[in-house]
Parts: sequence; C-alpha cells; structure tokens
Amino acid sequence: MDEEAAKKLIVETLEKKKGKSKFYLKDFYKMLPDEKPRTVKNLVNKMVGEETLEYWSSGSTTLIGLKGVGKQAGSEDED
Amino acid sequence: MVEFRHKTPLIDQLETGPWTSFVSDIKREHESRMENPKGIDYQFNQDCCDDLLGVLELSYDHGRTHWKHGGIVGVFGYGGGVIGRYCDQPEMFPGVAHFHTMRVNQPMGHFYSTKYLEQLMDLWERRGSGLTNMHGATGDIIFLGTSTPQLEEVFYELTHNINQDLGGSGSNLRTPSDCMGQSMCEFACFDTQEICYQLTMEYQDELHRPAFPYKFKFKFDGCPNCCVASIARSDISFIGTWRDDIRIDQEAVKAYVGGELKSNAGAHASRDWGPFDIQKEVIGLCPTQCMSWDGSKLEINTPECTRCMHCINVMPRALRIGLDTGCSLLLGAKSPILDGAQMATLVVPFIKVEPPYDEIKETVIEPIWDWWMEEGKNRERLGELIKRQGMQKVLEVTGFKAIPQMIQEPRSNPYVFWKEDEVPGGFKRDINEFRKYHQR
Amino acid sequence: MAFISSGYNPDKPMEDRITDIGPRYYEEFYPPVIKKNKGKWLYHEILEPGIVVHVAESGDELYAIRCGGCRLMSVSHIREIMEIADKYSDGYVRWTTRNNIEFMTDSKDKCMALKADVLARKQPGGCYKFPIGGTGASITNIVHTQGWIHCHTPATDASGTVKVTMDTLFDQWENMKLPAKLRVSMACCLNMCGAVHCSDIAILGYHRKPPLVDHEYIDKMCEIPLAIAACPTAAIKPSKIDWNGKKLNTVSVNEERCMFCGNCYTMCPSMPLADTEGDGIVLMAGGKISNRIDAPKFSKVVVAFIPNEMPRWPTMTATIKKMVDTYSANANKYERLGQWAERIGWEKFFEKCELEFTHHLIDDFRDPAYYTWRQTTNFKFT
Ligand code: HEM
Ligand code: HEM
Ligand code: HEM
Ligand code: HEM
Ligand code: SF4
Ligand code: SF4
Ligand code: SF4
Ligand code: SF4
Repeated sequence: MDEEAAKKLIVETLEKKKGKSKFYLKDFYKMLPDEKPRTVKNLVNKMVGEETLEYWSSGSTTLIGLKGVGKQAGSEDED
Repeated sequence: MVEFRHKTPLIDQLETGPWTSFVSDIKREHESRMENPKGIDYQFNQDCCDDLLGVLELSYDHGRTHWKHGGIVGVFGYGGGVIGRYCDQPEMFPGVAHFHTMRVNQPMGHFYSTKYLEQLMDLWERRGSGLTNMHGATGDIIFLGTSTPQLEEVFYELTHNINQDLGGSGSNLRTPSDCMGQSMCEFACFDTQEICYQLTMEYQDELHRPAFPYKFKFKFDGCPNCCVASIARSDISFIGTWRDDIRIDQEAVKAYVGGELKSNAGAHASRDWGPFDIQKEVIGLCPTQCMSWDGSKLEINTPECTRCMHCINVMPRALRIGLDTGCSLLLGAKSPILDGAQMATLVVPFIKVEPPYDEIKETVIEPIWDWWMEEGKNRERLGELIKRQGMQKVLEVTGFKAIPQMIQEPRSNPYVFWKEDEVPGGFKRDINEFRKYHQR
Repeated sequence: MAFISSGYNPDKPMEDRITDIGPRYYEEFYPPVIKKNKGKWLYHEILEPGIVVHVAESGDELYAIRCGGCRLMSVSHIREIMEIADKYSDGYVRWTTRNNIEFMTDSKDKCMALKADVLARKQPGGCYKFPIGGTGASITNIVHTQGWIHCHTPATDASGTVKVTMDTLFDQWENMKLPAKLRVSMACCLNMCGAVHCSDIAILGYHRKPPLVDHEYIDKMCEIPLAIAACPTAAIKPSKIDWNGKKLNTVSVNEERCMFCGNCYTMCPSMPLADTEGDGIVLMAGGKISNRIDAPKFSKVVVAFIPNEMPRWPTMTATIKKMVDTYSANANKYERLGQWAERIGWEKFFEKCELEFTHHLIDDFRDPAYYTWRQTTNFKFT
C-alpha cells in the first residue's frame, strides 16, 4: 500500500473508534496486515512527527492516538 | 531567614540520625531558591521545594500519595523521556501542581566532569525544581519536577547547548546501562562502556520512539559478579566471561596463605575471622571442586571451572580472569509483574565483544526484536514470550543450535511435540495400507 | 518570573530541532589516570571501609572514596559535590549504580584529606552530608524508587523508609563485619521500578485494597476501555449505575481478582488506590544477583505485612535489624543471607529470626507456586 493511502486508512480507522482514543502499536499492525511491523512502526512515528498522531505514556507503556482527541487532555489540565 | 510556608513536624524527624537526610537537602534547596544570591530568573516556581515538603508532610500525616499520573506531556516527536505528574491538591500546593519528570541519558559508567555537571545544574536550577535523582533505577539522570511549557525549553537547551539527549521510557528501548567495568575494575572481561555507548547510539530511534510491545532493556555486566544486576532485569543481559585458564600467580597465593595479603581485598577487615584458611575458604567453597592446593602450588582444572568468580574475589592479587574473554548472552529477565519474576536464560554461552559488534547485532538483537515485534502481545516482555512460545522458538528465530549449556537439566516428561518433518514418512498415512495387517 | 525562551519556537517545533544525539561520550569524563590505565588494572584493595585503592599494571594508583548519597539530590548538594571534586579530584566524580558518590584521587594523602573534609560536613540536624563506607562485607546504600515524593501508586514512602533503615544499619555501613555483602533495596509498589526482587533484604510497599471507583466522574475523566485494558488480571468490567436518576457508564471491579497494582489508576484518575489502613510494607529476604558460588536467587517474602508507621517505621526497622544481626551471628564467612537460609532451612530461618510464619507466606500465585512447596520428608522440627 502506498504511504498516503496507509496514512488515510489509519486516520479513518481511528476516527471510527468510539469511546477509546489511545491504542497500542500492535493495534496499528492490524490495520495494515500486509506490512511488516517495522514498516508500520516507522509510519506511525512519522505521523506523530507530522502532528497527525500523538503519544500518551503510562510511564511503562506507550499508547498512540489522534492528536488532541480523548479525555486525558481535560483531566490533566493541559488543554 | 527564609520562611517555610508549611509546618512539617513529621518529616522533620527525618533530619536526625547519621545517614544523610533528603529532608534537610530539600530545605536547603528551598533556602537557596528564595535567597537567590545569583539573581536567577527562575522559569519554574521558585517556592516549589517548600510545597513539595508540604505534600510529603500531608502524605506522612495520613499515609497516602498525592500524585496523579499524566501521559500527555512529552517533547515533540519523542515517545519517552518524560513522565507526567500532577498534584491532587493543587490549591494547597500550587508550586508543584504540575511537576513532570525528565529522564536524561546518563554518561556510561556514571562518570562526570564538574564542567558538565555545572551545565546540567545551571539548566535545571533555572528551568526546573532544582531537585534530581542521581540516578533513576534504569540509570538515567532524573530531573524531578517542571511545568509543561518548560519541557521543550529544557530539551532545546540540552540538545543545543549541552550536546545531550533524553533517555527512554514507555514501549521502547530503555536507556542501556553498564557496570564501571574496565574503567576501574580488573575483573571486566569486555569494555562495558564502549558497547553500551555504541548500542545506545545505534538504536536511537528505538530508544526515543515506541517500537515494541513493551519496554526492552540491555544491561552490561563486565563479569559474573553482575554489579548492574543485568541477569535480573534486562531483556538481553551481557555478562563477561572467558574460555581459557584463570591466570595464577603462585607467589601471591603463598602470600595469601602466609597472611601477608588480605583475603577478599580486605572486604572482611572489621571482624576477626581467624587466620586465612585456603583449604576451607577457597578450595572447599569452589562449587565445582575443581581446585587443589598441595601446600605450595594451586591448580585449577579449567574444563571443570564454571567461572563463578569466588576464588578470584577472595584472592584478587593471585588470580586473574583469563585472556580469551568475551561475554555470555542471557535473555528475558523481568521484575515480578505480571507472571512472577524471571531471571534471564542463557542462550549464547560465549561471544566475542568487539566493535562494531555486528555479530551480536545481526545474530541476536535484530532477530529477537523481529520475532517479538511480530509475536509479542501488548505489554508482554520478551521473557514472557519465551515462556509462552518456548525456548525451541528462540532457537528457531536465531538459528542457534541446542546445547546442554542452555538448560539446568533435561526435561522430565517425554511429551515432545514432534513436528511432522522430524519423523520419517511424515504424519499422513494410509489407513487401508494399515488395515492390510490389522483387522478392524 | 518572565518567560525566557531558549530559542525554541512552539509554532515550528521542527525548526532547528536536534534529536537522536544520545548521551555525551563517556571518555570525556574519565579522569586521566583512568583513560591511561583502562583495561590494565591489576588489583584492588579495600584500605578501610569506604576507601578502595586500584593498582594498575603501570604502577599507577587510584584511590576511590565512597560516600553515601540520597538518590534525591538537590542542585545545591550537587554543587557541593562539584566543589569537593574540584578541590581534591581534578574535577572528576562518579556515581555508583547504588546511588553512592565516588571521588577518585591519585594519592593516598589527597584521599585522606578528602575524607577528613567530607566527614566534617554535616546537615543542620547533625546528619552526615557524605557518610563514608559501603565497601566489602558491609551494607551499602539502598537502591530505591520515588514514593510519596513523586509517584502516583506508592503504598509507602521510599526516601523516608530508606533514611530510617540506613540510620538503623549505619554501623554495618561504616564497618565490614558481616559474613558477606548484604544488599538492601526498596520499591514502593509491586511494579518494583527498583528491581528489588533479588536483594538480600527487600522493602516493598504494598496495597491491600482494590481501587475506589468515582462513579459520578469516571466517564467524564477517563476512557473506560483504557482502564479495562490496563488491568493485568482482567478484574475490571464495564457497567452502568443509577446516579440521581441518570444512568451513568462506569466500571465494576472484581475484588477477588485484583492484585492491587494501580495500573487502572495510571490510566484513570477516577480509580484511586491509596488507603491509610490498606497500605504498608512487605519484607523479602534471601535474594542475590551475583553468580558467585551459586546461581542468582529471588528474594522470598518473609513478612507479609507491616503497617506504615510514619515518620520512622519502628516495627520495620526492628524486624530488619533482627534479621541482619541473626544472619551476622550465624552465617559462615562468604555466605550470603539466602545461602545461609537455604543451608539451615527456611523453617530454621523463621525460628532464629523470630519471625511469625503465616499462611500468606505460602505461595499461591500461578504455576510457580507448586515448586516452592516441600515435596520431601526431609525437614527440621522447630
Ligand atoms: C510494569 C512495571 C512498571 C511500571 C508500571 C512502572 C511505572 C513507573 C512509573 C509510573 C514511574 C514514575 C515514577 C515517578 O517519577 O513519579 C516509574 C519510574 C521509573 N521506573 Fe518504573 N515501572 C515499572 C517497572 C520498572 C522497572 C522494573 C524498572 C527498572 C528496572 C523501572 C525503572 C524506572 C525508573 C528508572 C523510573 C524513574 C524514576 C525512578 O527511578 O524512580 N520501572 N515507573
Ligand atoms: C574493582 C571493582 C570491583 C570489584 C573487585 C568488585 C567485586 C565484587 C565482588 C567480589 C562481588 C561479590 C559478590 C558476592 O559477594 O556475592 C561483587 C558484587 C557486586 N558488585 Fe562489585 N566489584 C567491583 C566494582 C563494582 C562496581 C563498580 C559495581 C557497581 C557499579 C559493583 C556492583 C556489584 C554488585 C551489584 C554486586 C552484586 C552482587 C550480588 O547482588 O550478589 N561492583 N563485586
Ligand atoms: C502419563 C503418564 C503415565 C501413564 C499414561 C501411566 C499409565 C499406567 C498404566 C496404564 C499402568 C497400568 C499398567 C498395567 O497394569 O498393565 C500403570 C502402572 C503403573 N504406573 Fe504408570 N503411568 C504414567 C506415569 C507414571 C509415573 C510418572 C509413575 C511413577 C512415578 C508411574 C508409576 C506406575 C506404577 C508404579 C505402576 C504399577 C502399578 C501397579 O503395580 O499396580 N506411572 N501406569
Ligand atoms: C536497581 C537495581 C540495582 C542497581 C541500580 C544496583 C547498582 C549497584 C551499584 C552501582 C553498585 C556499586 C557500588 C556501590 O556499592 O555503591 C552495586 C553494588 C552492589 N549491589 Fe547492586 N544494584 C541493584 C540491584 C541490586 C540487587 C537487587 C542486589 C541484590 C542482591 C544488588 C547487590 C549488590 C551488591 C552485592 C553490590 C556490591 C558492591 C560492593 O560493595 O562491592 N544490587 N549495585
Ligand atoms: S560486574 Fe564484574 S566487571 Fe563489572 S564492576 Fe562488577 S565486578 Fe567489575
Ligand atoms: S571461578 Fe569458581 S568454579 Fe572456577 S575455580 Fe574459582 S571458585 Fe572454582
Ligand atoms: S515502584 Fe511503583 S510506586 Fe514506586 S516509583 Fe515505581 S511505579 Fe511508582
Ligand atoms: S489495581 Fe491493578 S489488578 Fe486491581 S483493578 Fe486496578 S489494574 Fe486491576
């Protein structure tokens, strides 16, 4: 899949999820089953650099979601 | 006199006794910030130390923490290196309402020059709380407490002025760490600092951006004494070892026997344990009974020695590690959460540790990562994956041959899951052919 | 306080951005004698508690003096360390992985002058700023975690329990009279950031009550699926509740499954865990890391619960002291605490250390539990 199409697919899949805004890296592998994990990882990290996605860290694990989406921003007084 | 807004009668009781007091130290920092003799334009709350003492006193009063976790903060493009913290009583303690941690990648071996420390301290005094952890449990320098807007500013100054990066947290490679090794220790079988540095640099992307199902740690111990506890807490544990003879200086052995040299480098000096008894303290405690002493000559039967370090620890001036040195690689240690603690399992008994470490990278690290990225479940450490899919799978993905060094003992059940291609003729058989010889 | 920019432009985060440069190269920070003799050290000797001389093949000597540090260290304290390093050790200093500070000098005279100087430095309440010791058959500094100073899931304080334990064991820090090294570690919750699970003695904070659920706010503050996914034992289920006539989304916690880990609170501030009576301390013993003589060992739980007794935890320190003293009086030279306990048998360990044995100390957590029960008739009567 070309990169733009993959990005679009990721954004659309995330927008469809209700009630949950943060995902494990492995959830992204499932969106692009034909790509190698390493390729998906690089793409996801690139999308963070482009400010489409953002990280959320529990300290021990990292979750990833659409930038600015979700309830954490509110409860952390960072919005 | 600098004022303290909060009364702290409980934690004040931690300012007595001989051991150095962190309460006195935080008070000292508060005084320094309020007096501000250098006229610093503080970019983070000047009175944060006072409020931190107040929060702590409150916790001491009723035995509960007053911190909340926050995961949204970070520096742009990095998945780790920052841990978000908010106080759950922000009105009472506004100075620490937002109090985030930054992890700074420590120099290998924790060696510092005062010039470099000065740069770090100047930065953290201005843009943070003036409090640190030297060091965090994974080895990083911990900058303890600043506000969200200061995170990027600190990062900018670190990278532009101090030539220094953050460390890792989250689902990525954690800041690798090492024992002081050859820099000061004669037991070191490889240069722990160099490989630790080189792998840290090689895998910067994996360190700063989430790459894995969960955290991943490398730690480097120069010898089986394991001073950085790699065998208990790293996904790949590098432990120095050697293949040839322990070098023996027979004259020095005699000097230990005669009492001229202090056993165990003087480690037992504060108590009278009686005269040194080589038979009892060395030969008798050798776990493999591979040593002998006839009163004038010490011999070690090298093929029987397991390089446990005991005799070398006891007589460091007489015995030295061999010359054909390298390391053993063990996989999969983790702390108890969730399925119980695991020690690392020996997979590579011996490998040379020589720059640029291609063999280690290509035959161990990268195949293991590929497997774990593919098969590991969310938040499953490598050790748990190995338990779930078996040591056989480790051999399959790395291509290493099974050898008895990998196990404590062979299995005590015969339930081998033979694979079809291991059995002549395979699993598909013809029932009619069978029935020619066996009735229904 | 006026905001002063470092040069960073929040509107263009990628402008002039420097990333992935790693740590500084360690060699810049080696004292010259280390740069010269690295990998060519011949032997070391502990001259007195806290002072080690390293002798190189070249004949060069390096005197290292080990001072205890609080892991939590202020900029002012570190500046004082820098002043000492500039005065005596040419501007170089290192930290050990157990949070001690090591000053390295090239002569014995300088080392002794440094010793006298730092021992005279005291804090206002009389505590040493730089206690010296921790080498050889002694108790060195306690590796520990954040506690109430900075973490959201601790069941006890870290710095405080460490301070009172080091005060209690100070004689063993300053002297080398134990049968072998004895390592104490501290972690303030079962996540064990400090990897205490292989220590001769481990102090562990432990919660005993499942999280509270703030039904009224949980759906506003948290993403419920994330809290559910965070739970390692699948104890959390989605549910609904009637709240002043309104149906609200919330969660229910299966209390029997909860292992009190606090992961839910990490994801969701509406599920706090801390509790005055519920929280306290577990003591573990008998672990080790080194491969010396036998394989590394995990620490075992020897006291299932001690309440938090702020500010100085007297029951905890007395229990630790009793274990250390009993070990010291009974073990053979070179024997680590766990090796001694295994030699005499754990039943004897409980007898000698006067520790009560309770059903909480018999493992019932998953498969490995079976391997810790006794499957032989060989035991001792106590
Ligand atoms: C699943 C287990 C773990 C979880 C959920 C966890 C979570 C956390 C959290 C929330 C903090 C933040 C404390 C603060 O600064 O407020 C923290 C700090 C830290 N953790 Fe862990 N941790 C885990 C295991 C470990 C282990 C096993 C290690 C090391 C061997 C470790 C190393 C660290 C370090 C270095 C810090 C930074 C501050 C410190 O040293 O206390 N963590 N961890
Ligand atoms: C010349 C340098 C050193 C020598 C000769 C030395 C020697 C030893 C010896 C003899 C042991 C014995 C283990 C035992 O009694 O079971 C040991 C253990 C240990 N050493 Fe060192 N050590 C040196 C430096 C260091 C350094 C620099 C560190 C840490 C940075 C360190 C950390 C440890 C640790 C963690 C253990 C743990 C063993 C355990 O938990 O069982 N050592 N070392
Ligand atoms: C899955 C594993 C096992 C299976 C399927 C199995 C099956 C059997 C069967 C079918 C018999 C009866 C044989 C006969 O009477 O002709 C038998 C007898 C026996 N088995 Fe096993 N067995 C197993 C494991 C073991 C083990 C692990 C032990 C001992 C450690 C054991 C000890 C014995 C003994 C002592 C007898 C003789 C009993 C008698 O004399 O009546 N078996 N076993
Ligand atoms: C977070 C985990 C740990 C870290 C970062 C760590 C680090 C260190 C460091 C830096 C030293 C060296 C020097 C000193 O005494 O100041 C050391 C020494 C030692 N540690 Fe650890 N360690 C850890 C865990 C353990 C554990 C779990 C044990 C368990 C038994 C242990 C046992 C020892 C021993 C025996 C020494 C002896 C050093 C000596 O005085 O020669 N360490 N450790
Ligand atoms: S692990 Fe071995 S080589 Fe490294 S510092 Fe400890 S004793 Fe020395
Ligand atoms: S290193 Fe250990 S096994 Fe080898 S000779 Fe020495 S005491 Fe024996
Ligand atoms: S051990 Fe637990 S409570 Fe302590 S710092 Fe680590 S996560 Fe926080
Ligand atoms: S404390 Fe841990 S085990 Fe208990 S409900 Fe929360 S996440 Fe689950």
